[in-house]
Amino acid sequence: MKLMKRALPVVVSSLLVAGITAGCSNNEAASTKSKKGGESDSNKPLDITIMMPSFDQELADENSTVVKKLEEETNTDIHLRWTPNDTYPDKFSITLASGDLPDIMVSASSYVKAAQSGEFWDVGKYIDDYPNLKKLNPIIRQNASINGTLYGIPRIRALGRNGIMIRKDWLDKLGLQEPKTTDDLYKILVAFKNDDPDGNGKDDTYGMTVSQFSGPWDNIQTWFGVPNEWGVEKGKLKPYFEFPEYQEALDYFKKLFDEGLINKDFAAMPPSKWYDDIQNNKAGVIVDVVDSAHRIEKELDKLEFGENSTAEQQEQKTFMTALGGVADPDGKKHYLPTSGFSNLLLIPKPAVKTEAELKRVLKFIDQTNNQENQRLLFHGIEGKQYTLDGNGYVVATTDKTVLKDLQDLNQFQTFIPEDLTIKPQQTPLREKEAEIQKENEKYVVGNPAAGLISETYSRMGAQLDQIIDDARIKYISGQIDKAGLKAAIEQWKSQGGDQVTKEMNQLYSKTKK
Amino acid sequence: MKDASSSLEAMSEPALIVKPNKRSALFQSLKRDKWLYLLVAPGLLYFLLFKYLPMWGVLIAFQDYQPFLGFWHSEWVGLDNFKFFFQSPDFLRLFKNTLILSFLNLVLVFPLPIIVALMLNELKNALVKRGIQTLIYVPHFISMVVVTSMTYVFFTTSGGYINEIVKNVTGHTIPFLTDPQWFRPLIIIQTVWQTTGWSTIIILAALTGVNAELYEAAMMDGAGRWRQLWHITLPAIRSTIVILLILKLGHFLDNGFEHIYLMSNSLNRSVADVFDTYVYYIGLTSGQFSFATAVGLFKSIISIILVLGANKLAKKFGEEGLY
Repeated sequence: MKLMKRALPVVVSSLLVAGITAGCSNNEAASTKSKKGGESDSNKPLDITIMMPSFDQELADENSTVVKKLEEETNTDIHLRWTPNDTYPDKFSITLASGDLPDIMVSASSYVKAAQSGEFWDVGKYIDDYPNLKKLNPIIRQNASINGTLYGIPRIRALGRNGIMIRKDWLDKLGLQEPKTTDDLYKILVAFKNDDPDGNGKDDTYGMTVSQFSGPWDNIQTWFGVPNEWGVEKGKLKPYFEFPEYQEALDYFKKLFDEGLINKDFAAMPPSKWYDDIQNNKAGVIVDVVDSAHRIEKELDKLEFGENSTAEQQEQKTFMTALGGVADPDGKKHYLPTSGFSNLLLIPKPAVKTEAELKRVLKFIDQTNNQENQRLLFHGIEGKQYTLDGNGYVVATTDKTVLKDLQDLNQFQTFIPEDLTIKPQQTPLREKEAEIQKENEKYVVGNPAAGLISETYSRMGAQLDQIIDDARIKYISGQIDKAGLKAAIEQWKSQGGDQVTKEMNQLYSKTKK
Repeated sequence: MKDASSSLEAMSEPALIVKPNKRSALFQSLKRDKWLYLLVAPGLLYFLLFKYLPMWGVLIAFQDYQPFLGFWHSEWVGLDNFKFFFQSPDFLRLFKNTLILSFLNLVLVFPLPIIVALMLNELKNALVKRGIQTLIYVPHFISMVVVTSMTYVFFTTSGGYINEIVKNVTGHTIPFLTDPQWFRPLIIIQTVWQTTGWSTIIILAALTGVNAELYEAAMMDGAGRWRQLWHITLPAIRSTIVILLILKLGHFLDNGFEHIYLMSNSLNRSVADVFDTYVYYIGLTSGQFSFATAVGLFKSIISIILVLGANKLAKKFGEEGLY
């Protein structure tokens, strides 16, 4: 007993110490990698390690039936290195520094510096040789490049996601048509404010809801013909706010603000509250990603028919309609695209040493984009992870142990040229959203300087952008006038904007050649 | 703890018969108190690992730190980051905004818990006192995100409760949330609401330590409530107040990043930009780690000067000070 008493503090304190040091010695066991089969024997399965973010605890591992199937299809031996999404950026940098690199890794925002110092293959030179990859949308390709070089395969997302969502029932009640131009939109906003669209006899509605988030302004000014970030004039890049259309758009915004067609306190409204007014019958218009329409519809259904209303009840009434945007006063359409991708699949040179190996890895990525493999990675294996119902819609299994084999495998899907997975059951509104996203691609305005990275901008960009964004808000809400707006632009120029423009033009003329 | 260790020393003192030289004395005392040292080891290790070791990180303030190159390969740039900061057009505005907010904080927010604690102390009904105490503690447990969100709901011009009242009385609304003039008052009101109750705890604890006999004696001498307060209560808690003040000065330039960040917007940024938010915008959103560290280091230097100065001043006036 006495011994116990004396030993206890030792044990306790050494446990504590051990606990602390254990936290620091969490070394990654260096994984030894076998030589790739690519060059010598093309029939030997390609040994391939993939590092990507995970969102779940229970993840597909190397024994997963889905991975096994993919290995069969692509003649590979796949190793997965999962990293929780929250810490992915840190882990990404650490992995780069450690030298123990996978063959494919999903990028994090810090990849630019490493890419410029030659850490990754310039895949842009090669992708035209692959049936799927060569069909990569040119705008997305440019957005995903750095100073003209594509360092990885972008994971594609919808490019034309932005749009405008309007209360359909309010339009109908007031006998209005869906807007075609910015003027039509203005008239609708006036009517929504003044003509009691909800018919409750009270002056409790207004036109469009906006918040601190700058997205709606960026979208609407693009409808007016303001370039996307940079415009080209006489072969030179010029920042968007130096085009006359910018002033035109700002005056339009100011008119909306002055006449109370948007919420007066928008500059203080947290983005988390942005949707409140349109979901509570107060506002009739919102400009955001167009797939929000069905989410708003759902909220309004709940409000109208109660929390537990059935689908039949909810189908009685359609509240929302959506459009890709409206035309400028001259009837021309130009919409703001979203970047169109979410990170790249990078191929590090230290892991994939030769061009032949690179080509084999690219072939693998290309193969994952076949319809069959896209569906395999997204839905799993038919009869295991999902079944199809009578109408051909996917019914996912609820068996967690089976789903584990599929979990988060879609993280290395690139969806080039397009998403070929089986669509979920569509409501008319959702169908419309999908149509709009596709239709929008015709009108989106690319950023001519996308993928050009100016040294000054990477250092001061956030501050410079804020000068312009703040000036826009101040102008709309009347805190400054045209002179103040000019002063802000001058401030932008003198604090580094001129330097950014110069550097961007140098890069631009280089990539043009 | 102090008592325990000294009694332990006293107990083991007679065991030392041979007069040892200095070195072995150290060894002896190490050996004698080995369990105590072992006990303190995890704590020491914690401070070394998580407080002192990372401090070397401030050296990146003198570098052009690139995460990809890491600490060892990043370029040393001397005082460039500091020069750039002091010469930047933002510096004066930031410094002014920070100082004004800090000053208001010190003058308006610091004395309040003392006043409230004194008032609570005068309450005779223990149940009422406890009730009030519990109620005023509550805001402390509400996250700043929620507080600012509540502020929005109360103060927005589109249907905020306060603005509805203002509208009924004056006929028009006041843009509390976007008008730069209202930024500082709102911040102070929120800070008072959130921190006052919690900060009374230490003062109340100090007040319980005041000898009740002193009051009885004073009453015998015919001293009223105010006299008692002035001559007994306040002098008794003076050293507590001084310590709190010195500690507060250590955070003089901290305006509470989260708080300011959440309350600032495009229209009030001219008064809302402070060092804390600047470090965030520069360091995290623009990725200039070295520059942000330099700004943070500058802030820390000011703080340590303030703490040392205040401590010295306190000692001059016969108070105990921190050390």
